[in-house]
Amino acid sequence: MKHVSIPSGADLGALYRQVAGDYPKFFKMDVLSKLGFLLTEMLVADETDRFQPREDRAVLVFSREGCVANDRHYAASMADFPSPALFVYTLPNIVAGEIAIRNKYAGETSAYVLEKYDEEQLWALVREAFQDRCTQSAVVAWIDCPSDTVWQADAWLVSREEILK
Amino acid sequence: MNELINELKLKVIEALNLEGMTPEDIDENAPLFGDQGLGLDSIDVLELIVLLEKNYGIRLATPQEGKEVFKSMAVMAEYVAANRKK
Repeated sequence: MKHVSIPSGADLGALYRQVAGDYPKFFKMDVLSKLGFLLTEMLVADETDRFQPREDRAVLVFSREGCVANDRHYAASMADFPSPALFVYTLPNIVAGEIAIRNKYAGETSAYVLEKYDEEQLWALVREAFQDRCTQSAVVAWIDCPSDTVWQADAWLVSREEILK
Repeated sequence: MNELINELKLKVIEALNLEGMTPEDIDENAPLFGDQGLGLDSIDVLELIVLLEKNYGIRLATPQEGKEVFKSMAVMAEYVAANRKK
């Protein structure tokens, strides 16, 4: 399976210009969605059928802190004028939707908040996602970002054969 | 009016995170929403409503009202000039 990661504290704007550059909405995303977006770009950039609508690919995002970094920004904005743009990212599953929208994936999208990084639990949940007949591959990501500058960001592109072997 | 238009352009670029965009990139008569112009979305409307209240003391009652006010940067500037409280 293909694996990519983004080092903690990396310049995400620079990375965006390097791996994408054609999706200005990126700059409106919270750090969780930015990382999910970039990880997926890195995973699927060389696919020949990129951007063809598909229902057979799932997006499964795991984290410990969810969207807490953005939640803090939103809470701070409430002291003055609550920001609608921050509010829309106060759910940890938005990242999965952002990835699906960008790539035209209409398969399962799920976001799990785990107590800690637990490899066994994570891959057991991934296997569950393949129990339907539709899912043939999945973008799986562990993105844990307690702040805008500190994170763990790893992603894998996995196939049904690799997961259910 | 040109000064106000430029000021608004700078505030909009900052509020909406229009990365890499300068005031010169924004045609003041182009539509702000839809496929042409800036291509802003419904969340951006809400941010613009907040921008008007925060910076100019203007309260729009509904997002629908914003549809008229936010037709273009020039229309927005005219509205601000006529209704600003600060």
